[in-house]
Amino acid sequence: MAEATLTWPKNYNEVPKAAFIRADLYADEIQRIFHGAEWHPIAHESELPNPGDFKTMRLAGIPLLISRDEADVVRVFYNACSHRSNQLETAVMGNKTEFECPYHRWLFNAKGDLVGCPNPREFLPGFDKADYPLGQPRFELFYGLIFVTFSSETEPLETFLGEAGETLRELMAGDGRLKLLGYQKVRYDSNWKGYNDNDGYHAPLLHAAFKMLNWQGGKGRQYTCTRRGHVCFESALSVASGPSVLKDKDLIAFKGQDPSVGSRIVQLFPTFVSTKHLDIINLRFATPIDAETTEVHYAYFAHQDDDDEMLRHRLRQSSNLLGPCGLISMEDASIFHRIHIGSHTPGNAIFQKGVRDPSKLESEFLQNDESGNLPRWEYYRSVMGFERAEA
Amino acid sequence: MTDSIDGLEMALDRLLLADANALDSKDMKGWLANYAEENEASYYCRATENTEHNLELGFMFDDCRARLEDRVTYVNEIWAGTFQDYRTRHFVQRVSHWQVDASTAEAISNFSVFMTPMDTGVTQVLAVGRYLDRLRLSDAGDAKLLSRRAELDTSVLPRYLVYPI
Repeated sequence: MAEATLTWPKNYNEVPKAAFIRADLYADEIQRIFHGAEWHPIAHESELPNPGDFKTMRLAGIPLLISRDEADVVRVFYNACSHRSNQLETAVMGNKTEFECPYHRWLFNAKGDLVGCPNPREFLPGFDKADYPLGQPRFELFYGLIFVTFSSETEPLETFLGEAGETLRELMAGDGRLKLLGYQKVRYDSNWKGYNDNDGYHAPLLHAAFKMLNWQGGKGRQYTCTRRGHVCFESALSVASGPSVLKDKDLIAFKGQDPSVGSRIVQLFPTFVSTKHLDIINLRFATPIDAETTEVHYAYFAHQDDDDEMLRHRLRQSSNLLGPCGLISMEDASIFHRIHIGSHTPGNAIFQKGVRDPSKLESEFLQNDESGNLPRWEYYRSVMGFERAEA
Repeated sequence: MTDSIDGLEMALDRLLLADANALDSKDMKGWLANYAEENEASYYCRATENTEHNLELGFMFDDCRARLEDRVTYVNEIWAGTFQDYRTRHFVQRVSHWQVDASTAEAISNFSVFMTPMDTGVTQVLAVGRYLDRLRLSDAGDAKLLSRRAELDTSVLPRYLVYPI
């Protein structure tokens, strides 16, 4: 494999803009990161709550099928027939306990076993169905959140998550017993790193809504953990005060428990962002489509113990507040596009806010510091094998 | 009240076109004026994929008149100047309708919406789908939207949405 090279600036707070746009780097990123030794969240098991439920998607091109069998066991498969690799299931979600490939009528059960194929006498001598189950990537569950990796060298998921695991558990209502409310899916005209660099973190200055609603940010912390620089935010929930320009104030009401740490964000390398804000529980499954495009599936959840009133409230709040059309986040989406366009200019993006010493990396930050992204960039640099310029 | 079939069709199409015109003109107050005054007047924009799996969550979920009025505030005041603006053109075509009672009708219409971002000038399809409308008919023969569900075939949007579909 031809290796793309890029000289990295000596200061930790500088990122070459070329990293966002070079197509030759993109091919290398897919190999080293998306098909390499990283864990990628692809679904929460509550998206397939009943026996026979399944979900399909593609992660960096790789087609995946997640199914729940009759005994309630969730498994991840490659969504490709074990014979000639014809795409097995075409529906995005549904309920089936058997999957039949229409090409040569190979039939698989929800455990991935090949249970039927016509005319096996005409196959290779010694053909045995037991040798042809559906292929599987490695996968692990964390409070119902399903992760896959395509490398045998990836460390255990718990190690990968590190301290972020605890924040992620809290974000998923503390126990991961979620109930799916639905999806908002969108493609952004942005490299995956431009999306990732600006989704978890973004400047409150951007949000005109905060100012108009007299909505001050709560006190909180931002920390990074593991060598990958996963970023976690934990902050007190603040509720808009003063006269509101909104006629339906329920949009920004908090009806849940524990406002002391009512707002959480967990951002995992390379692309996953999740947030719990007010009564919204939102897991964002993102995948690169090409060097210029990132597809994000915003999945929203309630808790299984919610009463009808709370369920309704979460539905009303989730639909209108945080997604690609949400009151306080629509303009984030615009930033992903504009960062991508602006990165087609020479030089480096220079991070400022929260950077005290550009020759050092830190792991504790103030809530609105942009420097929380820097440990992740350092990991990206190292996994891509780029040399840092001498001091 | 609208008693002739022709009169009903005319009222429905006048409303359908008035809404397309308001949206493409970015006239949010004009958009709101197409909705009935009742508190339960509603607008939903949602991927059909969600609907088919009994998932109520949408891109926009304005289930009462107050939320419709708030959407005018989002676009005209809160979001002003924060996004890359784009032009839209809605193409709408009523495909089915029926009268429920003297003051209520329902209609299904196809829509396709083209989008042209102001910065690139390159036109693409923003969304395709169906409007499922419930309409209030006035004695004067006008129709207003009591409920509109914009059900999108486009389950993956090519862009964030600022304006309703």
